[in-house]
Amino acid sequence: MNLKSIKECDRRSAERLLNFKLPNSYKKIGWIGVIAALAVIMSTDLFKGDQELLKDVLRKVVLAFLFVIVLSREEVEDERIQSFRVQSYSLSFLAGVLYTLFQPVVNWIAFLIFKPEKAIFEDLGDFQILWLILTVYLLFFYVLKRGDNEEHS
Amino acid sequence: MKNTLKVERAILNLTQGELAQKIGVSRQTINSIEANRYAPSTVLSLKLSVVFNKPVNDFFALDQND
Repeated sequence: MNLKSIKECDRRSAERLLNFKLPNSYKKIGWIGVIAALAVIMSTDLFKGDQELLKDVLRKVVLAFLFVIVLSREEVEDERIQSFRVQSYSLSFLAGVLYTLFQPVVNWIAFLIFKPEKAIFEDLGDFQILWLILTVYLLFFYVLKRGDNEEHS
Repeated sequence: MKNTLKVERAILNLTQGELAQKIGVSRQTINSIEANRYAPSTVLSLKLSVVFNKPVNDFFALDQND
C-alpha cells in the first residue's frame, strides 16, 4: 500500500466517521432518557444515605443520552441541516473552551470577594464541560433551525 | 447570490415540496434558497439544473455583495 492510498483510506475513514448518524427515532429515545435520568438525579435527594455514586452514574447516563440526540438524524437530513450542524459544533467548541478556561477564574474571584477563606483554584469536572458542550450544541442547532423555519412562515 | 428558482418552479408548476422531493431535500431548504438565505452546494445546484433542464447560470447569479 503506497502513501497515496493510505491517505485516501484515512480520508474515507474520516468521512465515514463524520457522516455517521443514528436514525431519527433515536432522538425521541435520547430525550426520554435525558428527562428520566435528570428526574431520578433530582429525586435522589429524597432518599436517605449517600447517593453520590448513583448520581455520578446518572450524570454519565444523561451525557450519553444527550450524545445520542446530537448524533440522531433529522427527518430530512439535507445539506442545510448539515450546515446548521457545522455552525453548532463550532459554537459549542468555542463555548466549551472559553468556559473551561475562564469559569475556574471567575469562581475563584467570586470566592475571593464573598468567601475568601474558601477561595481555591479548582478545575471543572468532566460532567460540567461535556454538559455545556452538548447543551450549547443542541441549543444553537435548534435556534438556527427554528429561526430559519420561522422566517419561512 | 440571487436566483430565479421561484420562477423556474412556477414554469414547471411545481410546489416547494414537490421540488424538494425531486432533489432529496426538505421544503424548508427550497424556501431558504428562494429567499436567498441559503446558498446551495454545487451538487444541489446541479440537481436543480437537471430538474429545470437548464444550466445553473440561468437561475443562479452573483449579486453585488458576492
